[in-house]
Amino acid sequence: MARTHITAVVNGDETEFLAEDGTSLLNALRDEVGLTGAKEGCGTGDCGSCSVMIDDKVTTSCLVFAPEANGATILTVEGLADSGQLHPLQQCFLEGAALQCGICTPGFLIAAKALLDKNPDPTETEIRYALAGNLCRCTGYDKIIRAVQEAAREMRGQ
Amino acid sequence: MAVGKTPHRVDAFDKVTGAAAYAADCVPDNALHAVVVFTNQPHARLVGVNFEETLDAPGVVAVVTAADVPVNEYGLTLFDQPVFIGLDDTGRSSVPCDVSRWEADHLAVVVAESLIQARKGASLIRSEWEVLSLVSDAVEAQSDEILVHPNSTSNTYHELRIRKGDIAEGLQSADVVIEGTYQLPHQEHAYLQVEAATAWVDEERRVTIETGGQWVHEDQEQIAHALDVAPEEVRVKYAAIGGAFGGKEDMSLQIVMAVTAKKLTNLGITRPVHCNWNREESIVGHHKRHRATVHARLGATADGIITAVEADVLLDAGAYNYTSNKVLGNLHLSVAGAYNVPNARIDSKAIYTHSVPGGAFRGFGGPQGTFVAESQMNKLASELGIDPLEIRRRNALTDLSDGITQAGLPLGVGVHRVLETCAERAPVDAPLIETLPFKSIASLPAATDQLRQGRGYAVGMKNVGFSFGFPEACEADVVFHGDIDAERPTRIELFHSAAEVGQGVHTALIQMVAEAADIDISNVDATYSDTATGGDSGSASASRLTFMAGNSVLGAVEEAEKSWADGARPALGHFRYKPPATEALDPDTGVGQPNFCYGYMAQALDLTVDIGTGHIRVDRVLSIHDVGKAIHPQMLRGQIEGAIAQAHGYALSEQLIVKDGRVLNPRLSQYLIPGIGDVPAKVECLILEGTDPLGPWGARGVSEMPYITYAPAVTAALHDATGVWMNTFPLTPSVVLEHLTAAKN
Repeated sequence: MARTHITAVVNGDETEFLAEDGTSLLNALRDEVGLTGAKEGCGTGDCGSCSVMIDDKVTTSCLVFAPEANGATILTVEGLADSGQLHPLQQCFLEGAALQCGICTPGFLIAAKALLDKNPDPTETEIRYALAGNLCRCTGYDKIIRAVQEAAREMRGQ
Repeated sequence: MAVGKTPHRVDAFDKVTGAAAYAADCVPDNALHAVVVFTNQPHARLVGVNFEETLDAPGVVAVVTAADVPVNEYGLTLFDQPVFIGLDDTGRSSVPCDVSRWEADHLAVVVAESLIQARKGASLIRSEWEVLSLVSDAVEAQSDEILVHPNSTSNTYHELRIRKGDIAEGLQSADVVIEGTYQLPHQEHAYLQVEAATAWVDEERRVTIETGGQWVHEDQEQIAHALDVAPEEVRVKYAAIGGAFGGKEDMSLQIVMAVTAKKLTNLGITRPVHCNWNREESIVGHHKRHRATVHARLGATADGIITAVEADVLLDAGAYNYTSNKVLGNLHLSVAGAYNVPNARIDSKAIYTHSVPGGAFRGFGGPQGTFVAESQMNKLASELGIDPLEIRRRNALTDLSDGITQAGLPLGVGVHRVLETCAERAPVDAPLIETLPFKSIASLPAATDQLRQGRGYAVGMKNVGFSFGFPEACEADVVFHGDIDAERPTRIELFHSAAEVGQGVHTALIQMVAEAADIDISNVDATYSDTATGGDSGSASASRLTFMAGNSVLGAVEEAEKSWADGARPALGHFRYKPPATEALDPDTGVGQPNFCYGYMAQALDLTVDIGTGHIRVDRVLSIHDVGKAIHPQMLRGQIEGAIAQAHGYALSEQLIVKDGRVLNPRLSQYLIPGIGDVPAKVECLILEGTDPLGPWGARGVSEMPYITYAPAVTAALHDATGVWMNTFPLTPSVVLEHLTAAKN
């Protein structure tokens, strides 16, 4: 089976990997790059557990062919912390227990980061819209919303 | 002090950084890949099967079949399911293995170098089937014209009866009798992490499975039974677990992957083998919350005092028992509600059909039974014009009550406590919560003239721990470390098998060890969920772990303290906690003590419905819980909020379509669990601490309780808003509209 050579910036590092035709970016990240933070919850783009940022846009990586990411800049949950220092979103999810089983957490963190990058002071409704592509079966979402609000406050320096 | 505080979850750092390793993340570089092949036959006899093309396919290493299972049977409480369907019967199974009774029965496991090759190999299996007639619902199955299990005499395979007082007299003395037939739907667990497992034979020659489940020792026992080996020859350990909710209590990949690892070893292949279901395989391949039909009558005097409860429960068990016989027990009890009932007749039956098997799901029969009990109670209050909280107060169980099984209730009955709090915080005459106009279609303006608001209530109780005489116990081991002359240990290790399915038990256990031994939580380390290191904890189910594991930890610390005082370094403490024994109910009368502890809850719920479209928005839920003691209040609130979200899906959107034994919508695009825009706009959790006499620090369980009262609170609120009662759900817009229209005509 043909394998495509892919070069991308993943979590700030120039990264090269091979992917078989038909391999999703999610599987390439997990199996070839060794980044298992993004999860497959459905494989059909419905749950958002595989969310990564590709060139600053939230994307369900299970629906992207790996070669489509050639030349792109990719951020996964593993790239959120800055040399061991948790991102404020990570810190607020941790402190607020905005997670239970944790499978959806990487996707929520990525989607929330994409929101705060564009809108540092979102309303609760805007947060719900921005996270509408991510399913969580454990928390009931309330603690997730509070954690995003708290992180936004911290990032604004309030 | 550690109990009652909110330290960070011990697993949170790994979960926010992506470091937490779930079963699907633990794939060794040299692993082979496996695919479980379903029969795709809801009822058919296997008459021929050929694996030659599969075995010749590129990359295929092995095909595992019925011939590879020494004891080809499985079942948590009854052995009624073959591990594999096959022509080759080893003769050591109580169930014939040549008939597929469920589309997800297993035909084979195909092992290959890659997943793609395994799937290709699986597609090359040639099987021939003699298709047999189906019986796809419980009402029809009662005639026994088609037997799902021909070696039993009837599809009705488990029956429970309650006979209390004089039912004829009870109904006769009633001024009003409420009667209804309720249809309770299936529900899919939809944990975000689908089933995955890696299997190998370890250096001590143990068949080893790393997966996610709810009870490592039960997995071990079931695997050992099928392999016909001693449990010690099997090792089960859990990676991080991405949700379970009862759906991982039964076996999915555990046995078949153990058989696969053993076969590979016999073939001289020492590589580990990994399997990861996709979402479709997961939804098709595991059991569901049971659907059920319940016909009920509730008699009461004009001032609302219950005189009689009558109920006939038909539980659709599907093709295999799983835990249906136990679920039936809980439904059977909960259909009577949290009330004094002087006269009762309840007949409950679990019935085999060729439908998807029903099994454990958060609430375990409680949501179905409580929907009936509370719907009946709400209708009674409405019929008599009595405040729905007041009528419950007049009937509520107390410490002095004779329960529905004619046995005294475990002390600490909290029905009045939650009711009074509900009446204070959300009385019937309090204005409905003010909300923004509800737009059922986001791009259109709200049709404000079509919006109706209402409030509903429900009250309930749910057992904590295993019931009906099932041997209930939980083990813990602790090791105190410190110098010989030290007064107190400097570090404590805990070994425990409690499964962390997301509920937070690993954090709570650390807190409880720290509290019991009076040491800082940072000095407690723990090793969890590995049969090689921990004793049997029992399952992460029945809202039992805080109660059971907490008591086990208290005992183990006490043992270690004695040993420490005697000068042992390190000082070891082992303890096996056993709660008061429970009893199976008398088969004729239902008399007996089924449980040792209950949790109590009340909910008040405000909603808005658009009577033009049938859309419902839940505006506010007040969820009141008598938890005994909150070990970690923040996580406890998380349990309540999460259970409400799942119950919201159960009540409003989750519609599993099963036709002729097949699940027709096995995807998250078609089976709609609530998203962040769907859940109630506001959830208020009120935690009452009415100290349980047996619980560790007075704690009970809470995981299932908020689930149980939610659906009847929704239908009561919908009735308050529209005057229409719903005896079924989920309340999708089309279902609501259909009922509103029918009522109008």
